[in-house]
Amino acid sequence: MAVAGGTLEHEHGAGHHEMSDALYEEIRGHRLLGFTLFLISDCILFSAFIFAYLYLRNTIDHWPPPGIEGPNLLFGALNSVVLFGSGATMHYALESWKHGNTKLFYRWLGLTLFLGLWFLLGQGYEYSDLYYRQHATWAGSIFGASFFTLTGLHGFHVFVGLIYLSVVWLQTRAGVYTRQRFFGLTAATLYWHFVDVIWVFLFFLFYIF
Amino acid sequence: MSILQATIEQTLTLYFGVIVFLTAIVQTKNEWGKHALEDNVTKLLLILMAVGCVEAIGATLGFLGHHGGA
Repeated sequence: MAVAGGTLEHEHGAGHHEMSDALYEEIRGHRLLGFTLFLISDCILFSAFIFAYLYLRNTIDHWPPPGIEGPNLLFGALNSVVLFGSGATMHYALESWKHGNTKLFYRWLGLTLFLGLWFLLGQGYEYSDLYYRQHATWAGSIFGASFFTLTGLHGFHVFVGLIYLSVVWLQTRAGVYTRQRFFGLTAATLYWHFVDVIWVFLFFLFYIF
Repeated sequence: MSILQATIEQTLTLYFGVIVFLTAIVQTKNEWGKHALEDNVTKLLLILMAVGCVEAIGATLGFLGHHGGA
């Protein structure tokens, strides 16, 4: 019996491998627990980098180091709101799916992808400003190393999230999910919220603290 | 950074920040009665998202962060 991704739902829908609701709920519970553990492990990964950053930052008297202004606060705030907004649109996408409004679901999901891409491009703009105008490089300073590593790790998660959401889009188009069985969609929403929330901490650490 | 650019960024951040903050609060309220694992995780993440909006709005209004830089 296949249990990966949305295969179960698809097979259920096609009627090849009929699965009882009780069995599906049991497997769904296992998947959800596994996915939550994955998110917790990702939290630990970010925590390790954040503590390393805080340790390094405490070794320097002036932060950011002389000659580097640091990231642009106003632009960072706008970019943050864009990412948080994408979390809200993703939440609405999931709710639309639950309520059977497919048209609205695709609109919210499309808006989520758009905002996620906007955030990534904004990060690219931020990087170019730091690199070319302020000459902050990965190897040149502790500030550059910590900023590019942590925000780069987060940006990679956003990039993966965009791919994930695109796959979910294609899966829904292909009829993988039903109104009752849509775990992949729930997991994608949780992942996207997680990516948002990690940025809450990074924004505080690099732009506010 | 030009004043015009800063003003545009501040206006957009305030406008969308308030919208997203209210959305996060309302959605948290809607999720409050649900107690499945994904609902609890969603509630936590939505609350933190609202905190993020407060951060962004506070930074834009000058309450938070260092405004002497770029």
